[in-house]
Amino acid sequence: MKSTWFFIRKELLESWRNYHLLIIMIVFVIFGIEGPLMAKLTPDILKMASGSGFSIKMPDPTSIDSWQQYYKNMTQIGIYVLVVIFSGTVSGEVSQGTLVNLVTKGLPRYSVIVAKYIVTYLQWCLAIITSFLISWGYTAYYFPDNKTPNIWLGLWPLLIFGLMFVAITILGSTLSTNNYGGFLISVIVFIGLTLLNLFKDSKRYNPIALVTDNMSLVKGTEKISHIMPAIWITIFSALVIFYLSILLLRRKKL
Amino acid sequence: MAILELHDVKKNFGDKQVLKGLTFEVPEGSIFGFVGENSAGKTTTMKMILGLETIDSGQILIDGKRVHYGNSLINRMVGYLPDVPKYYGYMTPKEYLTLCGQLTGISKNDLSDRIEKMLKIVDLPINKHRIHGFSRGMKQRLGIAQALLNHPKLLICDEPTSALDPIGRSEFLNLLTSLKGETTIVFSTHILTDVERISDYVGILHDGVLKANDSLDNLKTQYAKSQIIFEFISEDTAEKAAQILGKNSHNNQKQVILNYTGDYQIIAETVLNTLLQSHLIPISMNRQKTNLEDIFMEVTA
Repeated sequence: MKSTWFFIRKELLESWRNYHLLIIMIVFVIFGIEGPLMAKLTPDILKMASGSGFSIKMPDPTSIDSWQQYYKNMTQIGIYVLVVIFSGTVSGEVSQGTLVNLVTKGLPRYSVIVAKYIVTYLQWCLAIITSFLISWGYTAYYFPDNKTPNIWLGLWPLLIFGLMFVAITILGSTLSTNNYGGFLISVIVFIGLTLLNLFKDSKRYNPIALVTDNMSLVKGTEKISHIMPAIWITIFSALVIFYLSILLLRRKKL
Repeated sequence: MAILELHDVKKNFGDKQVLKGLTFEVPEGSIFGFVGENSAGKTTTMKMILGLETIDSGQILIDGKRVHYGNSLINRMVGYLPDVPKYYGYMTPKEYLTLCGQLTGISKNDLSDRIEKMLKIVDLPINKHRIHGFSRGMKQRLGIAQALLNHPKLLICDEPTSALDPIGRSEFLNLLTSLKGETTIVFSTHILTDVERISDYVGILHDGVLKANDSLDNLKTQYAKSQIIFEFISEDTAEKAAQILGKNSHNNQKQVILNYTGDYQIIAETVLNTLLQSHLIPISMNRQKTNLEDIFMEVTA
């Protein structure tokens, strides 16, 4: 367990010195500012684009539009940005041979996966929460209405989804020999889950519900209990995938 | 007592059998030179000892404990110096050594002292420079530092001198010699003079088995091809001398090469007397010693 702690510190240092943390912070701060701002400006932009010839009736933007922007950003491009940054985490070390030395020093292989999982998930949470807080502040400033009563309720599923998606990214990275392989596997899983959502009956059980139903939760039109099965399945899958990665690295040639 | 034992170790890569029942022991405190051609399986053997490569059959024991693939607890008493060590470029040497030390379980109080001592030994500066700017030689020296940091009982070096300049190489060999007695060293190399300079034991890996495994002196006696080379003033005299000295000798231009077995003193005296009686005076006389290269050539032929 001590080794895992030492390796976590190494991972944190790596993220800091290789500017991963900085990139994540910059991107997600921008997302946080952009969401509410876009919601605010969209009617004006449309007005300008359509010219002065005739006017379209646009409903005034509300906090719903602002949060919609936020969740759109987080669950689409946001997830891909994170996967791009994290997808080389295991494969990079294996292909460069940097683990050899540490493993021959007595670093257990499971520590590598555990530490990488923890540090990656922390960065996932940091990214999403930072963006969330900024978005919250601006939304409250631009749209002081009460149309989005359950602000926090939308965030939890996204964080829980991260538990599974980080595990998938790490598994992909352990399976493949380069960054692209890990990225590809994560993207395929995401698309696969989205396609699965086409079957109406599976919706309550599909982990993708955790990143598609956020707005209904925020607006209060859906209760969290509705997607509870999906939440449990997500947590269970995260554990299984995480354990698979440990098994895989144990057999992998360094 | 042997600190490292290999018993009938076999290894295949696809349908190519690289190791065909490798068996040898390395006594505690000795320096074991591990030689063999390229792709003879030296690196594979070392990786198996470190648990980085699967063992198809047979077993490897370090200090009496069996090595398993992927199991790293025995590794704590082993130091490993790969041919080209790979590091995290964003760390300083001190940070890297700290991580290594922590993983091997060196106590906190000890660690920083030990790291500074180690960096001094390998002649690396203690500053904030990160490893990514290091030359190959500097990385190799850092490799030595990390391998010796935990005072390993067994040190495994895979072609350690290949990246070093002549001075660095000489210093490195001196460093290894100074460890003799406390640390058992297994090192592989192509540079036979390095092996001759510091090894107690030599193992020659050829065709998947250890063809020779003995102390250097014993190998020399076993594979001795002792020769005396006489040089004469002209080819005629050389030819005459060769005739007189019999079938163990042959002439090559002005030289006569005599193969002999047994004690040099006695042989040389008889031969010189014979030559003198025929009034054939050599202008030079040289005793050729067997070196490891000759032995290597003969074993792997």
